[in-house]
Amino acid sequence: MNAPPRSVAIVGGSTTAWLCAAALKRAFQYRDLDLVVLDPGRSADDPLGRWTLASLRSIHSLLGLKESDLVRRTGATFRLGSEHRGWQGDASRFVHVHGELGINIHNAPFHEYLALRALTGRPENPEDYSLAAVAARTGKFARPMNGHNPLTSSFTYGLHLDELAYCEYLREHTKRAGVSHIDAQLSDVTFRDDGHVAALVLADGRRISADYFLDCSGRQALLMNRLGRADWQDWSAWLRNDRMVSSGALAMDDPSAVTRTDATDVGWLWRIPLAQSSVAGYVYSSQFCGDNEAVRQLRHYAPCVSEPTLCNLRQGRRARPWTRNCIAIGASAIELEPLVGADLHVAQLGVATLIELFPLDGHGATEASEYNRIIGEHADALRDFTIAHYRVGVGRSAAHWAAMRAEPLPQSLAEKLDLYCANGRIVLRDHETFDVVDWAWLLLGSGCLPDELGLHARTTLASAPVEHIAGLRVAIERLAGSMPRHMDYVRQQR
Amino acid sequence: MIVQRPLNVVIVGGGTAGWMAAAAFTAALKPEQRRVRLIESSEIGTVGVGEATLPHLRMFNRRIGIDERDLMAKTQATFKLGIEFVDWARVGDSYIHPFGAYGSRMAGVPFHQYWLRQKKQGQAAPLEAYSLPIVAARQGKFALPVDDPASLLSTFGYAFQFDASLYASYLRGFAEQRGVQRIEGKVIDVQLRGTDGWIESLKLENGTVVAGDLFIDCSGFRGLLIEQALHTGYEEWTRWLPCDRAVAVPSRNVGPLTPYTRATAREAGWQWRIPLQHRTGNGYVYSSNFISDDAAAEKLLSRLDGEALGTPRFLRFVAGRRRKTWNKNCVAVGLAGGFLEPLESTSIYLIQIAITTLIDYLADSARFDPRIVDAYNRWIDMEYDRVRDFLILHYHANQRDDAPIWNYCRTMAVPDSLAQRMELFRHRGRVITYKDGLFLEASWLAVYLGQRVIPVGYDLLADALNATELERRTRSLREQIEQAVARMPTHEQFLGNYCPAKLA
Repeated sequence: MNAPPRSVAIVGGSTTAWLCAAALKRAFQYRDLDLVVLDPGRSADDPLGRWTLASLRSIHSLLGLKESDLVRRTGATFRLGSEHRGWQGDASRFVHVHGELGINIHNAPFHEYLALRALTGRPENPEDYSLAAVAARTGKFARPMNGHNPLTSSFTYGLHLDELAYCEYLREHTKRAGVSHIDAQLSDVTFRDDGHVAALVLADGRRISADYFLDCSGRQALLMNRLGRADWQDWSAWLRNDRMVSSGALAMDDPSAVTRTDATDVGWLWRIPLAQSSVAGYVYSSQFCGDNEAVRQLRHYAPCVSEPTLCNLRQGRRARPWTRNCIAIGASAIELEPLVGADLHVAQLGVATLIELFPLDGHGATEASEYNRIIGEHADALRDFTIAHYRVGVGRSAAHWAAMRAEPLPQSLAEKLDLYCANGRIVLRDHETFDVVDWAWLLLGSGCLPDELGLHARTTLASAPVEHIAGLRVAIERLAGSMPRHMDYVRQQR
Repeated sequence: MIVQRPLNVVIVGGGTAGWMAAAAFTAALKPEQRRVRLIESSEIGTVGVGEATLPHLRMFNRRIGIDERDLMAKTQATFKLGIEFVDWARVGDSYIHPFGAYGSRMAGVPFHQYWLRQKKQGQAAPLEAYSLPIVAARQGKFALPVDDPASLLSTFGYAFQFDASLYASYLRGFAEQRGVQRIEGKVIDVQLRGTDGWIESLKLENGTVVAGDLFIDCSGFRGLLIEQALHTGYEEWTRWLPCDRAVAVPSRNVGPLTPYTRATAREAGWQWRIPLQHRTGNGYVYSSNFISDDAAAEKLLSRLDGEALGTPRFLRFVAGRRRKTWNKNCVAVGLAGGFLEPLESTSIYLIQIAITTLIDYLADSARFDPRIVDAYNRWIDMEYDRVRDFLILHYHANQRDDAPIWNYCRTMAVPDSLAQRMELFRHRGRVITYKDGLFLEASWLAVYLGQRVIPVGYDLLADALNATELERRTRSLREQIEQAVARMPTHEQFLGNYCPAKLA
């Protein structure tokens, strides 16, 4: 085939599959790309709730989805960030919000100012210098605006989603957009002489042939697992949680726009607010905690209203998510515990990168190697950011934590943390999802301070405009005070 | 906070690198934080590299607090909008690598993808027509860019072409005013500490001993401290960048001053031409495997615009970089750190990045944390490696078979990092971009296309816009650029008003 692909078949019935189908349809509207989704139904072990990064909003707007409608119809709520409790011992807490932290001081980032204050015995709470963090703490929310006051655009936000309702919403949208779908199980695949997949064979014997195939079937990787030799890069030495359990739960009382996590000796519990309910879950290590015990702790943590669903987690990634004419997108390519809320971001990166690099012919070898390079770098950066939650600060002392903390860090993470610890600088690589400020929230929040600051930064910060900085605190507090309560804002979505 | 004693910095060598380092240290640190001394010998000549610069240098100047207009007037400076490459892919070719983008993205797709689509259909205007700095350069026009992002005049940057020795003198004045102590003398011995081999002190010819915490080696190619004393080692890149010599001579100005530098491919390398207010800098960078020194000098002298001013000076070098530019308590800056030929005017940029990164990273005055040293070396390596690949592209992607050097370069194996970039561009015009390091999408694009690396395909997304609309938008952009350039003064008019040369 020397022409660009005319047809793409997508395997999977989850959110990722519908997002990919809708995005491809939208991008290649003009050339009438033939798209079909083979929907084997929801996998029983899919999570019941998700939390997302701000990036999801850009794909919503690309697809023409109106957010207020989506929020109202799927019972979603807003998300300014996460509140992490217990990660540095039982009494500890910090927030990681998707917003700016302070202001630059003569080109020095604010986190260096906060580090300097802490190093010189005058520690401050980073939250006081972030509108998003104060709003999160006080249960407030409003969308950012481009108003006169620059603080009103100093943050961004993601969503808390009811997975079933959101998936259904996307499915309806995608069908309306003209993507055909077949509800059936995949029973086999046939190959061409060159090893590329020729067709999907369904349980009833029907065949779906296409030029390219996407595996959006989640952790089961229904298609990729049939391609033979796996090229799995295992992350389980650093990320030892291998089980997840989740359950619907009763609504929370006037919840803030935050994802709540609570670290335990064997993993971490989470809970997200939805409009009329909530979802809770537990990510843990089966080596240190039995499933029954995990369910018991989960029920203790949140008033569950459904039978908890359980699944295995095998953290790692494919070295080549694009192999021949098959492309794994989402959890079929990258399995990572959901701590940093990047599941859908990973799916979105996959499809956005595929659209940019949409193959010009049937081989796609040049595109595949570039795609795999980009997605691989992003995945490794997300891995590093996740691992860092366990590794910075004093952490917890339990055996599970000690085992993770004993493992030598991935080199990329070691390099980042080494430089930070030596002089407070945070240096990013080419393809990273999280920015310097995200690392700052995590590092400062975890009590991980640099040994000292750079000579030049110290000089610069010595003349920090103290009154202006104090004024910022006041302005933030005042503005947060004027914002509506999060749940009132949710109810106002029309 | 713990009061620390001042950082004792000793700079060896007073060329561009040495005085840039001295000026930057004095500007960044308060007098009580540092003691900066610079050792140079008026007997040792400086190379005076990089008479042509990149726009980044303006940030360096701003950062340390130099008034650009004053600097330009005192260094015989002219403006530079890009570099013209003549005869590179084929004899008779000419392209400009501009300081600015070609058009702008439409519907999230890079402009050049639409251009490739039009080209495929035989309807494309030359890509140059979509770059304001190129159109201005070709017409000898110049005006300063503006801040308003809605204006076409915000779509370019500029650099200077100046006399690097005058720049060094200018910085010397700046640094000495701020307390840098200049020591006249030759280093004859380097005293290493017994315990760990760090540099303890330098002994000068007159017997003076200069001790310090941090030694900055700006001694040029020989690397007096980094190599001769510390034996750091050198990674050689001659197999990709075969030129190992240069011969330089200034000439009298003839005709209007061009707001760009020219690099013309020759039988054994290439020739530079850099117009300054008072003279034109010229040089022939060549490979000693393919031409003799005498022949190179003869060729150079026969190809000047105007009368030669002085006798040709020869330089020798080896392309590559020091295995560690920061080793123990010694940081090598400029030619002591590595050499990449001035084809893309990167010499001063590499000096600048070494100095500013060093200043940003330095933490403690008493010891140099290996975590910082390692991070610094990784960063500088990345900068050199990316420039290296970009330079190799100029040599490798040629279609000349009129001289052995071009046959060699066309058929040589290039680094994997470059081979992958080229493959992706050839296949579909996609430029691999990166967050840090030199050369953005437009630079790679200019050189790929200029070197006749022509993509077979283009992004499918570029087909989404209908042809009439695309034609309308592209024509309108060309017209706007032409109109904007028509309103610009000539380069010489602008210079005459803005920064006529005056004595320092």
